[in-house]
Amino acid sequence: MGLSYKVRLILVCIGIFVMVVLGFFFKTLLIPDSFGVYGPFRADAIDEIVEIPIRHGTNDSCFKCHPYEAKIHKAGLHKTISCEFCHGTYADHVADGKKTGVLPVKTGEQITTLCLRCHNTEIKARSEKVIKTVAMPDHLRDQHVKLSHNCSQCHNVHAPLKYINRAKQITGLMEKGQ
Amino acid sequence: MKIKDPSPDMKKRSFLKNVLNGTVAGCLYLVYPMGADSFEIPEQIPGIRNKPYDIYDQEFAFVVDITRCIGCGSCCVADKREFNVPDGNYRTWVERYVKGFSDRIYVDCPNGGLDGYQSPRTDIKEKIRDTFFVPKLCNMCREAPCVQVCPVGATFTSPDGFVLVDDKRCVGCAYCIQACPYSARFINPETRVVEKCTWCYNRVRKGLLPACVQVCPTGARKFGSLKDENSEVYKILKGPGVLTVLKKEMGTWPALYYKGARREVV
Amino acid sequence: MNTATVSAAMVSDSIGSATMLISNYVFPNDLHVHWSMMIVLYPYITGLVDGAFIIAALYYLFDVKSLAPVARFSLLFALAFLCCATIPLLLHLGRPERNFNMLLTPSPSSAMAGFGYIYAVSMGVLVFIIFFVYRPVLVALRKSSRGWLKVLYRVITLDSIDLSDDALKLDAKIIRFLVAIGIPIAAVLHGYVGFIFGGVKANPTWSSPLMPVIFLFSACVSGISAIVFAYIVIAKVKSRPIDHECIVTMINTLTGFFILAFSFEMLEVFSHSYLKTGYHHMVEGLLNGPLAKSFWFWQVKIGSVLPLLLLGIMVLFKIRSSLYTFLAAGVSGILLIQVFIMRWNVVIGGQLMSKSARGYTQFHPQWFDKEGIIAVIIVMAIPFVILFFLGKIFPFWDKDNGV
Repeated sequence: MGLSYKVRLILVCIGIFVMVVLGFFFKTLLIPDSFGVYGPFRADAIDEIVEIPIRHGTNDSCFKCHPYEAKIHKAGLHKTISCEFCHGTYADHVADGKKTGVLPVKTGEQITTLCLRCHNTEIKARSEKVIKTVAMPDHLRDQHVKLSHNCSQCHNVHAPLKYINRAKQITGLMEKGQ
Repeated sequence: MKIKDPSPDMKKRSFLKNVLNGTVAGCLYLVYPMGADSFEIPEQIPGIRNKPYDIYDQEFAFVVDITRCIGCGSCCVADKREFNVPDGNYRTWVERYVKGFSDRIYVDCPNGGLDGYQSPRTDIKEKIRDTFFVPKLCNMCREAPCVQVCPVGATFTSPDGFVLVDDKRCVGCAYCIQACPYSARFINPETRVVEKCTWCYNRVRKGLLPACVQVCPTGARKFGSLKDENSEVYKILKGPGVLTVLKKEMGTWPALYYKGARREVV
Repeated sequence: MNTATVSAAMVSDSIGSATMLISNYVFPNDLHVHWSMMIVLYPYITGLVDGAFIIAALYYLFDVKSLAPVARFSLLFALAFLCCATIPLLLHLGRPERNFNMLLTPSPSSAMAGFGYIYAVSMGVLVFIIFFVYRPVLVALRKSSRGWLKVLYRVITLDSIDLSDDALKLDAKIIRFLVAIGIPIAAVLHGYVGFIFGGVKANPTWSSPLMPVIFLFSACVSGISAIVFAYIVIAKVKSRPIDHECIVTMINTLTGFFILAFSFEMLEVFSHSYLKTGYHHMVEGLLNGPLAKSFWFWQVKIGSVLPLLLLGIMVLFKIRSSLYTFLAAGVSGILLIQVFIMRWNVVIGGQLMSKSARGYTQFHPQWFDKEGIIAVIIVMAIPFVILFFLGKIFPFWDKDNGV
């Protein structure tokens, strides 16, 4: 090999240059296709996020198969409460238009816990304009019921004043239709 | 009707068929994939379905009304269920602020508000002036620091204004977590990439409200399109009420507005 | 997660900030420290590279002749550590297998995105400096060695044995040119690490234009200390003579850089406490609370004031050369630890502040974690293994040409 030192150095420089060019060439090959459509990111990612399956339906999706509960729920003060908060997500219950799982129905003590999550006067932050709150067990005492009573024994969970208003109508304390 | 991602042609055809069949619901109900299956939900955000989505011509806003929040934590539960968020990480959370007469602020947020607030704070010795709840979520900054710092373009602002994460490109460096002034981001221990609230982009694009808005019993969380002059958020933003954003001094220009937030809220 | 007890004492100390800090509330996503020990290690390693390179640059570019004994060693030292600079980063990434995304789609707006390119360029420049510096030695070694080592030397020297005056003059020119561009590259490599922190506006202790400057000067301090320390230790172990003149030059340089580094570190703290900006209470509470020990005691008192006094004595007074060497080793040892603690206080300390501006989280180093203490020890040991093998191929010291 009769190449002079200088020539060898020049060859090294050319080698580096070629490697850099090749590097950038392969770089362009490896960049995802949709990269840069909207900006320096992969545009397909937006579509992938859109495809993430939904797990919560709406109350209307529940009411379609549960007309009895729908009627009570829609008429009561709890109409803004989501079915799925207490019962679990739609996706755990229905798939492909068919029932696939049983959602839990809260009973007894569980209901009281659930009610007090919102209706607890002790949590001073709750505005009376937004929600009616009670103190326990003072409320039970004031209403002259046993302290062991659960909320659902007087209040329908879907329409809290349903029984109470009915009782008031029967006893004449309240006009019908009020 | 089980059409998953139908071609535009197909969509038109099925739509026409519905109209011809006389089902008025045909205009309102569309089939949307859920898991491997489909189900029907009426549209909640008008103007999304039944027409091509122009990604450049959208503007959405999220308003949190602190005066209405009762701290029930429904939103946190719904969010965790909707995205199977791992324990100890939060896409959204609800804080409890207690303000004493000395102007001291006591904040707590046990388990991100997932269990609600079932008992009062007992560790505060002074008289309490005010107590309120503050729901937190991604602020969808117009000048998002997380997007700026992401080295690989995995976090981006989509043309319709959502700050989203590309979980197939994220390297999990956590720089965006450092950059987010609101701590809305976390590394998902299962996928080992960053995750955050997307305002339920997957639901919004299907004409549905974000899960947290959908389950909020008091209307403390409101979401809607500003292109729709009948939407609640449009009316709030147009109206005279004072709206604030969090950490204004960070220069992030959030699209998340707070109504009735005290100045102590950060 | 008992954050209430974290620093009740601290809260009562800082009455002015009490309104904000009283609840010691940490955002739920802030309980976890995301940048842990590997991110402490990474700027530490690049800092060592930078400082070692400065020593070489002083000799090869600025003709500080007294540094001749350590000039070549510092180049190899820099190379050994530069080879390992990416290990802590890969260990830290949630998805290390995707690290090439950094090179494929670097985001133009991100400070971090340039890493791959800056790193590649600095690696290339350093390798070529070493090649040209060592060429005459390697040509000689090629003649005297045999077997696979001979093949290796032939490859490294481009199979050329041209040591004519012209060729050597050309080498000298190229070395000066490469070192000259190497200085800004080294400064960028490390200054940009400082900027990664300095550019995070959400973190009040990080977001400061001083951050890259502090990082750069403390990098020089740690790198020069490392060379001083390694030179003395290796000489003692191998019972070689120690060049006193060389150590004096290095210690003087070290003193200069350390005064700058310490001044800027303190300037940062003092301007925080004087400006009293919106998030000042968090910084103050951090330095006097969770970081009270590691910052004020270890970093400032033991790590900075003590070496400053010792360096002052060494610079100002005439000391016996054996004592001088002993002091030099001691000071450089302390400074090596100081810079590590400083990195710790910046990286981990900064993350202890919750973005709620109301409280501090805690950090407990794990032993066997991917980013745990054992991993840190292993990562820090690898450069020395590399250095050992580099020493087999490239003789370290000036007079030791291995011929």
